[in-house]
Amino acid sequence: MIRSVPARGVLAVLAIWTLAGCNNSPYPPGITKESIFFMSQIDDPRKLDPASSYRDDEGKILDVICPSYYEYHPLKTKVFQLKPMLGERDARREAYNYTDAGGKAIAGERWTFHIRHDLRFQDDPCFPSGKGRTITARDFLYAFRRMADPVNGSPVVSFFEDKIIGFDELIARNRERQKRGEPADYDAPVAGLQLDPADPYAFSIALNQSYPQLRYLMAMHFTSPMPYEAAAYYGGDIQRHPVGCGPYVLESWTPKRRIVLAKNPNRPPESYPDDGDPGDAEAGYLAPAGRQLPLVDKIIISTITENTTGWNLFLQGYQDAWILKQTNFQQAFSQQGMLSEEMRQHGIRLVKTNDIGVTYFAFNMQDPVVGGYTPARRKLRQAISLAVNSQEFIDLFSQGNGIVAQGILPPGIYGYDPAYNNPWRAYDPSLARARELLKEAGYPSGIDSKTGDRLTLYYDNALTTAGGRQFVGLISRQLEALGIDFESRSQRDVVWQNKIDGNNWQFTDYGWLADYPDAENFFFLLYGPNRRPGPNLTGYDNPVYNRLFEKMRAMDDTPERLAIIHQLRAMIEEDCPLIFVQHTETMTLYQGWVGPVKPNPIGNTLHKFRSVDAALRAERQREWNAPVVWPLAVLAALFVACNVPAVLVVRNRHRRHVTQRGSSTPVSPSCSVT
Amino acid sequence: MLRYLIRRVLYAVPILVGVSLITFILFYGVVPPRQIARRNLSAKNPTPEQIQDWLVAHGYDKPMPEQFKKHMTELFLLRFGRSDSTGEDIAARIRAGAGPSFLIASLIFASALVTQLFMALWAAYFRGTYVDAWITFLCVVSMSVVFIVFVIVGQYLLGNLMRFFPLAGYQSGLSAFRFAFLPAVVGVAAGLGSGTRLYRTFLLEEVNQDYVRTARAKGVPEARILFRHVLKNAAIPIITSTVLAIPSLMLGSLVLESFFGIPGLGSYTYDAINSQDFAVVRAMVFLGTLLYIAGTILTDVCYALADPRIRLE
Amino acid sequence: MLSGWLLNIIPLAIVAALVTAVRRASRKPLWAEAIRRLKGNRVALIALAVIGLYGTVAFCDSIAWRDDRNAPLLSLVDRVFGRPQESTYSAPLAIRTFGEPMPRPLLGKHWLGTDGTGQDVVYMTLKGCRTAMIIGGFTLLIATPLALFFGMLAGYHGKTVDDAIQYTYTVLDSIPNILLLVALLMVLGRGLPQLCVALGITSWVSLCRLARGETLKHRGREYVRAARALGVSHSRIMMRHILPNLLPVVVIATTLSFSGLVLSEAILSYLQLGVAAGTGSWGNMIDASRLELARQPVIWWNLAAASTALFVLVLAFNVFGDALRDAIDPRLRS
Repeated sequence: MIRSVPARGVLAVLAIWTLAGCNNSPYPPGITKESIFFMSQIDDPRKLDPASSYRDDEGKILDVICPSYYEYHPLKTKVFQLKPMLGERDARREAYNYTDAGGKAIAGERWTFHIRHDLRFQDDPCFPSGKGRTITARDFLYAFRRMADPVNGSPVVSFFEDKIIGFDELIARNRERQKRGEPADYDAPVAGLQLDPADPYAFSIALNQSYPQLRYLMAMHFTSPMPYEAAAYYGGDIQRHPVGCGPYVLESWTPKRRIVLAKNPNRPPESYPDDGDPGDAEAGYLAPAGRQLPLVDKIIISTITENTTGWNLFLQGYQDAWILKQTNFQQAFSQQGMLSEEMRQHGIRLVKTNDIGVTYFAFNMQDPVVGGYTPARRKLRQAISLAVNSQEFIDLFSQGNGIVAQGILPPGIYGYDPAYNNPWRAYDPSLARARELLKEAGYPSGIDSKTGDRLTLYYDNALTTAGGRQFVGLISRQLEALGIDFESRSQRDVVWQNKIDGNNWQFTDYGWLADYPDAENFFFLLYGPNRRPGPNLTGYDNPVYNRLFEKMRAMDDTPERLAIIHQLRAMIEEDCPLIFVQHTETMTLYQGWVGPVKPNPIGNTLHKFRSVDAALRAERQREWNAPVVWPLAVLAALFVACNVPAVLVVRNRHRRHVTQRGSSTPVSPSCSVT
Repeated sequence: MLRYLIRRVLYAVPILVGVSLITFILFYGVVPPRQIARRNLSAKNPTPEQIQDWLVAHGYDKPMPEQFKKHMTELFLLRFGRSDSTGEDIAARIRAGAGPSFLIASLIFASALVTQLFMALWAAYFRGTYVDAWITFLCVVSMSVVFIVFVIVGQYLLGNLMRFFPLAGYQSGLSAFRFAFLPAVVGVAAGLGSGTRLYRTFLLEEVNQDYVRTARAKGVPEARILFRHVLKNAAIPIITSTVLAIPSLMLGSLVLESFFGIPGLGSYTYDAINSQDFAVVRAMVFLGTLLYIAGTILTDVCYALADPRIRLE
Repeated sequence: MLSGWLLNIIPLAIVAALVTAVRRASRKPLWAEAIRRLKGNRVALIALAVIGLYGTVAFCDSIAWRDDRNAPLLSLVDRVFGRPQESTYSAPLAIRTFGEPMPRPLLGKHWLGTDGTGQDVVYMTLKGCRTAMIIGGFTLLIATPLALFFGMLAGYHGKTVDDAIQYTYTVLDSIPNILLLVALLMVLGRGLPQLCVALGITSWVSLCRLARGETLKHRGREYVRAARALGVSHSRIMMRHILPNLLPVVVIATTLSFSGLVLSEAILSYLQLGVAAGTGSWGNMIDASRLELARQPVIWWNLAAASTALFVLVLAFNVFGDALRDAIDPRLRS
């Protein structure tokens, strides 16, 4: 009988552990046999509010809960195509002439939308009976009004503010009300948001200018219909309880742990498309054609902050998909750049997507040293641009995946020219041309010819993590080869943002992912009036550029537009306010039991196309996770082996004392053995 | 006893007031709220109006004395308000996170106590032999290794070799033990050195006393001396040092919880630090202090209960 | 900014101060006795030698100068160990880079490989010495005078002054250490001086308590009462009579806490609150290793170098601190 307390304690603990089950699945038993897709995210989304969520991770979840009037055709990725989703048909766009309050005649346009009649909101406790009600045009306009409410902090309201008639007045009024502590105005009529008195399923948006990109904005979740009951019921918590009519509903959101999306019984019927790009049939993307969407009942997204942990869970089979990062690359890939043997044997597949975006370094055009439009400054910027080797960035941080960016437009956007070569992005290891330009700019060998000091370039960034430091190290090395002094100042995101807004910077890094597939969304990054607090970081303000931009932004994709795009491109090349680095690619690994999903960089509704073979998954997980017992046995043996000599020594000690006394009765040792 | 408890609790109140004052000076005085607003707005480029809206919504726009009053009353009523970055209710998250943190903390506490006592007794039993020397050496070594290295290497070795328990995650209920195993092992291993050395010192002090020599002379086996007599008398200093450690365990070792994905108070604090969420860090500092003071009071009480020579007046 | 040569005077001054202090102390009987006992303890001498080695490296790293107006500021360590910088990781004693689709040949030989930015790992480890020494030394420089001042005041004057000081440090002590550090650093920002200030604020309390306890013990002594009777001022009594008696305890406590300070820097780096990203420090190296261990094959040399360097220093301080305590007063063991 074991009397000692510590020993009993150890046994108790061991008993609890063994009772609790001996398998390493992080999920409740049996769940992996069901029609569920498991994936992971590094961090929770900040919020899920259609009016204000702008980040990529938020969009991917929100877009299947709160769909919009339009949707991008999931399979047509060569040329992106919008098709009506909640809309019954394509919107009608017509000229709209009116006189404004000042009496001036404005030639605007009006878009009329007709929504489907069979739309219903999801069942939610915010509705009186708990059951979702039919959606009308009013709910679509309510979404616009939510954007105009300053409490929601919508980041895209500036896209609409100056274009929808009467919208800016509404916003100004709402701000006044907020200062006084009153709620925003949701009832007063707005001239640009028109309901059709005869048809509750139709609404119009009247603009004071031509704005073809409205179509794209009607495909983003900002314009998704929202019930006013939800705002009233949830109040401030609406950010964690989106209510929509999409294929999924947010069943639960346990902060920092998991998000569960469940099939929405009220969803509008939708089936998998049967047409796509050429080559889709062969790739297997048309196999589920005609099937009802979504293809899985639930999506469980676990929040796993540590990279190692997430990767190991994927290898153990407990995650169905994994976005490949630089650190996991070598295990996934063999030398030839192909998926390694180990991965292939496990049945893992790799899918590559072009992110429609561009990363770049930016100069502050108002900086006294590097900014300005004189030939000398231009040459300075061009010289620095020639010293940056994009391919090295791609090799070191993306394992060679990605395209060197020559200009601001990424592949996939009309106007992108794969044959275009920006002379200032042509890297030459000898840096001959770069040094020449530097001399012409007034800095022979990097030393200012007037003062004798070395030119110092200050790089403000928010790259404080270990990976970020490597990035800083690379650009430092590349630019210091020119002979200039490159000083990096890494700081917290907040501080960095402050510096940018306070015009307190010289050189920084940035990037842009397309909101919609139109060149306007990229060229507006250098449009003068868009300077801070707008997205024009550098403060680039070229009147010729501005005029041309205004001309091209509302055009359709015609040869005329292409000509203007080439002109804009030439100006950017000459002035060199940005040093383009790369068009990134995302690589995702999928397990063998996951059905094929065509990646779509603009459309965010991938979740409804996911499918799994659950039986195969359960079997593989069991196979890959058989427990390993031998290390414990080895440790135990080692422990015993180490202590045997000690036991013998102590026992000898006792026995020695006994035999020394010469007595036959067992006595304990006499002196204390300290 | 009761009077002593009441007095101790009353004495804690001015301490808590002092702590709140310090947190107020730190968080409201030194960093301008505009910076906090900017960080927490999701827009790519927040306009000044958006910043102002956020400040109003989170109560940062009022003048300093009013904010101070609000800060003090809210803390004492345990109304922690809403998080700066996510806007969710802090008190609700604390309630949700207390369970997992308590589980891990108590597991580590119990296992560590048992293991350290076991090793200390082992060293005491084999004192003078190479076992004792090695254990002492290993203790000093283990004390000199950074905690982070324990966690990193521990996860690497345990996660890939053994497959008994899940790498990360959490489920409430009985299966929570499965998820607590790996972090508990790492936590125990990391703290092994200092505790064992300390207990060994206490035990050896007792072993040199007269009553032990008497017992040995009476013929009591060595093992029984250690377990029955020495341990009981060494309990007093042992209790003092262990009970004091409970509150820090409760805070859930920020590092352990974030590595193993346990949604407890520690990882909540860790996330708040990363997102510069002052509201949450304020709340956790106050909570931590509360727990620490409770721990000290508990220590004194345990001390008095264990040692009849002490009388609390 | 002070000019280069002026900055170089600071480490020389520190070394000079240390040497003078030890020499003056060795004339006092208490310290002379302690030194004698230490000299006989071989393990302690080895530990002291190790600490001296680290100190020398830190010293060499602090002496820096420019070759000409526009050249970068290079210290002795930079000049000797700043081997060619590669582009990315490489394994110890390898000839090609590690982890690239097409490994490039290396420019030089690296005994412990290179880290993510291509810097030699041995070089980064040596740079970390200076940071560690500064963290330990500078923090103690802030904390010790503060603690001694308030501790002596509290112990000597008693009553309200004592209550006030006790209240202050109880309040500070009640906040769990890591949280107070986090709060301070979130507010002050990242950087070496900020880190030292924050660590100083969190570590002066225990020393203060110690100083107060010792002062209380000495205040009742006869020589103090005699001095008061002679009309010696309070401050003079404290400085000339009580302070020298406090020093043994203080020296032991500071030596033992040095290692704790250096260790906490590593943890704070994990929390993204340590020294600035560019500064060479062991904490930053360990933090970087989180991603490195996730790779297959594993990049272990960064973590190994930093944790070994840290481990040896902490071990040396622990061993030396124990030996010092035994040498000064074996009764202090308990």
